Amino acid sequence: MKTSSWPRTVFGVLIVAVLLFPLYWMVNASLQPGGALLRPDPAFFPVGGTLDGYRKALSSQGPHLLSSVVVALGTVLVSLAIAAPASYALAQLKFRGGPVLVFVLLIVQMIPGIVMANALYTVFSNLGLIDNYLGLVLADSTATIPFAVLLLRAFMISVPKELTEASRVDGAGYWRTFRSIILPVSRNALVTAGLFSFLFAWADFLFAVTLTTGQSFEPITVGIYRFVGNQSADWNGIMATAVLAAVPAAVLLVVAQRYVVAGLTSGAVKD
Amino acid sequence: MTLVAPAVAAPPRAGRKPRRDNRFAAWLFLLPALAYIVVFFGYPLAANVVMSTQDYTVKSFYTGEAPFVGFANYSAVFGNSLFSTAVLNTVLFTAGSLVFQFGIGLALAVFFSGRFLGSALLRSLLLLPWLLPLVVSGAIWRWMFDQDHGVLNAALRFVGLDAVPWLSSTGWALPAVILTNIWIGIPFNLVILHGGLRAIPASLYEAASLDGAGAWQRFRHVTWPLLRPVTGIVLMLGLVYTIKVFDVIMVVTGGGPANATQTLTTWSYRLSFQDFAFGQGAAVGNVLILVATVFGLLYLRSAKATLAEAAA
Amino acid sequence: MSVARRALILAASAALLAACSPTPAAPPAGTGAAPASSITELDYYADEQGSAAWQKILDTCASQTGIKIQRQTVPTAQMLPKVLQGASSKTLPDLLFTDNPTLQQVAATGALTPLDGYGISTDGYYESIVKAGSYQGKVYGVAPGVNGLALIYNKDLLTAAGVEPPKTWDELKAASAKLTKDGKYGLAFSAIPSEEGTWQFLPFFWSNGAELSQLDSAQSVKALQFVTDLVNSGSASKSVVTWNQNDVADQFVAGNAAMMVNGSWNLARLDEQKSLHYGVVPIPVPQAGAKPVVALGGEVGAVPVTGGPTQQAAGKVLSCILSEPTMLEWSKAHAYIPSKTATAAKFGAGQPAMQAFVDEVGTARSRTAELGEKYPKVSQALADALQAALTGKQPADQALKAAQQASGS
Repeated sequence: MKTSSWPRTVFGVLIVAVLLFPLYWMVNASLQPGGALLRPDPAFFPVGGTLDGYRKALSSQGPHLLSSVVVALGTVLVSLAIAAPASYALAQLKFRGGPVLVFVLLIVQMIPGIVMANALYTVFSNLGLIDNYLGLVLADSTATIPFAVLLLRAFMISVPKELTEASRVDGAGYWRTFRSIILPVSRNALVTAGLFSFLFAWADFLFAVTLTTGQSFEPITVGIYRFVGNQSADWNGIMATAVLAAVPAAVLLVVAQRYVVAGLTSGAVKD
Repeated sequence: MTLVAPAVAAPPRAGRKPRRDNRFAAWLFLLPALAYIVVFFGYPLAANVVMSTQDYTVKSFYTGEAPFVGFANYSAVFGNSLFSTAVLNTVLFTAGSLVFQFGIGLALAVFFSGRFLGSALLRSLLLLPWLLPLVVSGAIWRWMFDQDHGVLNAALRFVGLDAVPWLSSTGWALPAVILTNIWIGIPFNLVILHGGLRAIPASLYEAASLDGAGAWQRFRHVTWPLLRPVTGIVLMLGLVYTIKVFDVIMVVTGGGPANATQTLTTWSYRLSFQDFAFGQGAAVGNVLILVATVFGLLYLRSAKATLAEAAA
Repeated sequence: MSVARRALILAASAALLAACSPTPAAPPAGTGAAPASSITELDYYADEQGSAAWQKILDTCASQTGIKIQRQTVPTAQMLPKVLQGASSKTLPDLLFTDNPTLQQVAATGALTPLDGYGISTDGYYESIVKAGSYQGKVYGVAPGVNGLALIYNKDLLTAAGVEPPKTWDELKAASAKLTKDGKYGLAFSAIPSEEGTWQFLPFFWSNGAELSQLDSAQSVKALQFVTDLVNSGSASKSVVTWNQNDVADQFVAGNAAMMVNGSWNLARLDEQKSLHYGVVPIPVPQAGAKPVVALGGEVGAVPVTGGPTQQAAGKVLSCILSEPTMLEWSKAHAYIPSKTATAAKFGAGQPAMQAFVDEVGTARSRTAELGEKYPKVSQALADALQAALTGKQPADQALKAAQQASGS
C-alpha cells in the first residue's frame, strides 16, 4: 500500500479537480466583471480581474454570514438533542411502534417545502416566532431531524446489545447507558449527522425567506439576493458572496472530517 | 462513523430486566421526537390533504373558506395532459440521479477510504458543492451548459465532438438537470458510504486476502454485504430527497424547454403559484407523498430483514 | 435538551393556536381615524441599485409625511407566496408594491382597499396603468412609474455591417440575418416558460392584432411563426428558451448579440460599459406605419386591509410616492417612465435614451385589463406554446391551438 501511495494521490487530485471545476468557475466569475464568462473566448484565469465583487460582498454580507452560522449551529444542537435519544430507543430498546415511526419519518420528508413553509408561517406568526432565531432553527430542523434519526438509528443498530445490557445489569439506568455507552460509541455517527444538519440549515433558502423579514437578521442565502434584482443580477457580487460564504463553512467541514478520522482510530470500543 | 465492529466481543452476562420497563424507557426517549413530528409535520400534512379536497383559490387564503369538492382536484390532475409527462420525467430524473449519485459516491468512497497522502483532505474537499446556495450553483451550471459559449461545449469541441444543445433541446434538458443533480448529490452519498466502509473491520479484509481474494472479490464478498444497512438508508433517503427536488430544476431550466424537465414537484408549484389552482397543486403533492409511502413500505420490508440480521 | 423541550412546548401551543384559527379582523376602510405614526412596507427591489433608489423615495416620503416606514424587501419570486401567507395569517404589510399583473390576484382575495378612500385620484394617468390597477370597477393599485420593452442595439456592430436600426418585421428579419456572423447572433430575446417569456412575446403578438382571448387566431399564429423563424434561421440562438431577460442583457453586453429585446431598466447597466455604444428604437412592427403595442410593466402600490389608522397612514405615504416630484425622481433613478402622461412627456424630453420607451407607453396595454384573474392561466398557456414552437416540438399553429384549449378549460 505504501508503495502505491503517490499515484493514488495524483489520481485523487484529478478526481477532485474535475468534480470541483464548477467551484473554480465560480471563483473565476467572482473575479471578473459580470457576464465575462459568456464571451466567445471566456477567460479561464481571472487575469486582470476585479475585486469589486468582494468589496461589495464584504461591506454588506458579514452580518448575514454570522446569522447563517448561528442558525446552522442551532439546528445541529436541536436536531441531535431530539434525534439521538429517539435513535437509541429505536435501535436498542424493543419498541413495538419502531418500524411505523421509521416509516413516518420517511414519509413526512416528502411534504413539499412550500407547503411546510406556508403552514409554519401561519403557526409562527401567531406565536411571534417570525424574525426569531429559535423559530428558524426549529423550522430548519424539519429537514434534519428525520434524517438524523434515520442515520443514527442505522448506526446504533450495530452496537452490540450485550454491551448495553451489560451496563444495565451493572446498575446503570437507561439514561446513563445512553450517555456513557451509546453516545461515546456513536460519536462519529453524531458528527456525521451534525455535519449534514449544518449543511442542510446552511443551504436553506425557503424557510429563511419565509420566516424572516430582514428586520432583525437574515441568513446568507437570502442576503445574497441583495445582488439579484427583479430584472438584473450583479454576478460579480453574487459569486463573491458565495465564495466568502463557502470559506468559513469549508473550514468547519475540514475540521469535522478530521474529527471523524481521529475517531476512527481512537474511538473504537475496547474492553 | 460508528465503528463498533459487529465482531467486538461482549462480556458474557445474561441478566435481563422485564420488557415492560424497557418499553416505558423507549417512550421517554422517543417523546421529544414524537412531539416534534406531531407538531411540525402533522399540521402541514393535514392542511395539504384538506386543501387537495377543496376549491382553494387566492381568496381562500384571506377568508379561510374554500368549498369542498371531493376528488375533483385529483381527477383534474390525472386528466391533465401534463400529468404523464411529469410522472415520466420524475421517474427518469429520480432513477438517473440515484443510480449515478450512488454509483459514483460508492466508487469514490471505496477509493478515498484507502490511506494515501491527502486522502482525508481531498475527501472533505468533495463536500464543498454542498456549501453553495442553489441560486449560485444553478447559475454556474447554466453558464457551463450554454450552447454557444459554455465551457462544456468548448471542451466537447476541443476533443473533436459536436456541441450539445444542453438546455435548449427537449431531448437534452433532462439529462442536463440530472447531471447537475448528480453533481450536487455525490457528496452526500460519499460521506455516508464512507462511514459505512469504516465500520467494516479490517480483519475481514485481511482474512479474505489470506484466502487469496482479489480486490473485486473482496468488494463483492466483504464490502458489499456488510455495507447493506448503510446502502439501504442511503438509497431510501436519496430517493426521498431526489423525488422532491425543486430548486435545482427551477434554477437551471424552470421546467422547460416545452415542459421537458417538468417533474411532479415543479408542476405542483406551477399549478399553485402560476395557475393559482392551489387544490390541484396540493393534490399533486399528495400523489408524491403516496409514491414515497409505497417505497417506504418496500424499504421497511428490507430493513426488517436487516434488523433480523443485526439481531442474529 | 432543555432548549429543545421549551421549543417543543412553544411549538405545541403554536399548533393549538393554529387549530383555532383566528377570526378575520376585517376593519372598515377606516376614514376618520387618525393616521398611525409608522407603517410597514413590502417590495421586491432587492438589488443594491434598485433598493437604494427605492429607499430614497421612501425616505423622501417619510420626511414629508412624518410617518416612519419600516421596509421589507423580498426576492421577486417570493412576493406572491409572501402576500398569500400574509393574507392568511392577517399579517399583511400596510403598504404593498407588487408587479402589476399580480394586482388583480391580490385584490381578488379581498385583502386590499380601494384607493379612492385615501383621496388618490387616477386623473392624468395612462389609461392602461389604471386598468392594470383596477379590479371589478375599483382602483386598488397605482404605479409611480412604468416600463416596457424596446429594441436595444449595438451601434458599432450595426454600423460595421451597414445596417440601419429596423422598424418593421421584414427589416428586423433582414437585419438579424445580416448581423449574424463570426459566432455572433443578430438578435437576442427571452422565451422562458413563465410570465417573463409571455411578456417578451406580447409586443409581437399584440402589434400584429392578436388578442389574448383567442390565442389561436391567424394574427397570433403569424406572430409566433415570425419569432420561430428568427430562431430556426439561426438569426437568434436556440438558447432563447433558457435565457431570462437578465441573461439576454448579459449576452448583449458580452457582444454575443447585436440587438436585443429588453427593458429600460437595463440602460444604467449598459451605460456602465464604456466600450459599448448602444441605441434604442421601438419594437419593430408588422408593417410600416403601424404602432407597436407592448405590454405595460411596473409595480403598483396598494393598501391592504390592516385597520383604520395604518391604512390612512399608508394612503398618505402612497399619495406622496405618486406626487409628481417623487414620480420624476423614481423614474430617473430606476429608468422607469412616469405613469402620468404630462409628467412622462416632460421626462422624455430630458432623457433622449428613454424617448423610445416613453413613446411606446402611449400605446402599451395592461396584461390583465381584459382577462383579469384569468390572465395567469392564459399567460402560462401562451408561454408553453412559445416554447413548443421554438423547440420544434409542435408547429406554431398546433402549439397555439393547444394553448387555446388549455387556457379555455
